[in-house]
Amino acid sequence: MKKTSFIVLSTVAIFGLSGCGNAPESSPEEKTYSKTPAEVYAESCVKCHGQNAEGNPEKKGPALNDRQAGELELDLYDVKNAGTNQSSGTEHDIMAHNMKKLSEQGFDYDPKAMAEYIEKSFYKMEVEAAPVPESKEAVAEDATEAEGEEGAEETPAEESEAVAEEVSETNTTEETPAE
Amino acid sequence: MMKESLELIDAHLKKEGISRRDALKLFGTGGAAALMATGATGCTGPSSNAKGKILIVGGGLAGIATAAGLTHALSNPDITILEPNELSASYQPGQTLVGGGVWTKDQVVYKRDDYIPDGVTLITEKAVEFDPDNNTVKTSGGKTIKYDYLIIAAGLKLDFSKIEGLGIDQSITSTGDHAAVSKVIGQNGLASIYFQQGSEDTWTEMQKFIAEAKSGKKVQGIFTHPNTPIKCGGAPKKIMYLADARLREAGARENAELTFYPNGSNMFGVKEYHDAILNQFEARDMKWNYRHNLVAVDPEKKIATFSRHWEEKGEWDEDLEEYSVVPRSEKVEKPYDFMHITPAQVAPEEIANSPVGSGKGWVPVKKETLQHVKYPNIFALGDIVAVPMGKTGGSARKQYKVVIENLIAVMEGREPKAEFDGYTVCPLITSLSTIMLAEFNWTGKPTPSFPLDPTQERWIWWLLKVYGLKPMTQYGMLSGRA
Repeated sequence: MKKTSFIVLSTVAIFGLSGCGNAPESSPEEKTYSKTPAEVYAESCVKCHGQNAEGNPEKKGPALNDRQAGELELDLYDVKNAGTNQSSGTEHDIMAHNMKKLSEQGFDYDPKAMAEYIEKSFYKMEVEAAPVPESKEAVAEDATEAEGEEGAEETPAEESEAVAEEVSETNTTEETPAE
Repeated sequence: MMKESLELIDAHLKKEGISRRDALKLFGTGGAAALMATGATGCTGPSSNAKGKILIVGGGLAGIATAAGLTHALSNPDITILEPNELSASYQPGQTLVGGGVWTKDQVVYKRDDYIPDGVTLITEKAVEFDPDNNTVKTSGGKTIKYDYLIIAAGLKLDFSKIEGLGIDQSITSTGDHAAVSKVIGQNGLASIYFQQGSEDTWTEMQKFIAEAKSGKKVQGIFTHPNTPIKCGGAPKKIMYLADARLREAGARENAELTFYPNGSNMFGVKEYHDAILNQFEARDMKWNYRHNLVAVDPEKKIATFSRHWEEKGEWDEDLEEYSVVPRSEKVEKPYDFMHITPAQVAPEEIANSPVGSGKGWVPVKKETLQHVKYPNIFALGDIVAVPMGKTGGSARKQYKVVIENLIAVMEGREPKAEFDGYTVCPLITSLSTIMLAEFNWTGKPTPSFPLDPTQERWIWWLLKVYGLKPMTQYGMLSGRA
């Protein structure tokens, strides 16, 4: 009984200490990168994701200009960690492999900084507004075509939506994700 | 000193054991009281006079905790919760224990209406349409609700329909109507602790499995992990550890082969925990086979079909300056006597396909502030939020405080500055008396709350899980105080 009281007291004290969200501050060493996100993009990403992050179907590089930083960062995080959820694996098997190689070649980046750079430089609201989520690849292709005219930023929303819908109908059976 | 006394307590408990009464006293009353005491000293900060109509979509743990915290923090709270399910606030972390026969189902059932904070309006309908440009949400009952600030805490859906052969064509939630799934999961050797009724049925099916093994039959137990983010990433393994422990208890372990088939290619994203789990699996003769995604089941013949996937070396890629890789997959069949299925998990359709959703469905936010990427008056938290890892109650417990602080900042015209660091916790049940308390965040490193080696299985964490975390949720979190 005495021992139990001691334990109760100790535990109350321990819980008391941890109760207010004051878990010990983790102090991750600041990781440094040899290149800025802009340099990495211009020297490497551009080869498969395009001058304006519009994607490159030939290289199976999906568009990156259709998502805002918050969303894109999640994908980059997944790519760099080959998955984000214990044993679920990654939906970017190939890019996770490529990224490992690219990191070794010096093209490493902070996912947050890179996502912000891509949004700031390339994000296209119109493409992002397309209502059919499965049509990512279709949108990528659409965007590539539109790329012909430099600065096709002004694609009317309805038009790109219509195209996305149309293409997605013929495209929904294709499950292979473009990496 | 704290480390030493904790080690001492752990050792003492391991040696002496502890009665249920003492354990309740220790972790239930004591722990909860301590938490409430610290809560009273002001975790949520000073009162704010900011005004505005706040709509919370979802009355689960995350939604109710946020509502409760806001009623403490705001002097004039105007809060509405949309939640059709009367068991929405139930204690899901306990479902593993129900599945392993440690708890009964009634121990994890909470009634929503017991936890709706005073002064908060509850509408028992579902949000079905989002119009964030006009700050309105339409409900299943045809109401249009106008808000100034929206908090999305709608949780996720369990999508068994992705598995062929089960005859399931709709997704379900953890509690609520499960008829579509229960007609096949929860019988004939198929089990899933991911929904409340399923957790009770898991124990029934597991007992049959153990009885078969005990009768001398050589039996196969299969445990799956899908290719989507899931709630409580450790649960698919926890139920396997419990099956192992129950088989040993029955003296029938040698007749059962237990195999874990995850879609991914590791046990845990954090290396320290990954290594620890591999050691634990080996010590128990539990097998694993990576890169297997369950795609079909024949419930009559008891055969599971997996998509086994791998990569092969492809052509030289000039741009990559490396050989490319080519994805390959094949279907493989595995017979089972007992199979625990962790279903694919998805954002509710009405949110995924709305302007507040995203390509993958989850609500996209700035992952630190939890503010929506497009709409500054919208925040999201809990299972539906698009952040790496962290579909756990432990994450929600950190997130709701961040949301409250940042929402109030926005209401007062300030920048939202509170940051979520990705904290999540997985009390990995490894036997009927031990747990490895795996805490971690986006740094990818263990972030233990207590000064003990976090890769060790401990009796003290078993007591914390079985007696402490529930009162902490019930009296601390659901009242917005811890």
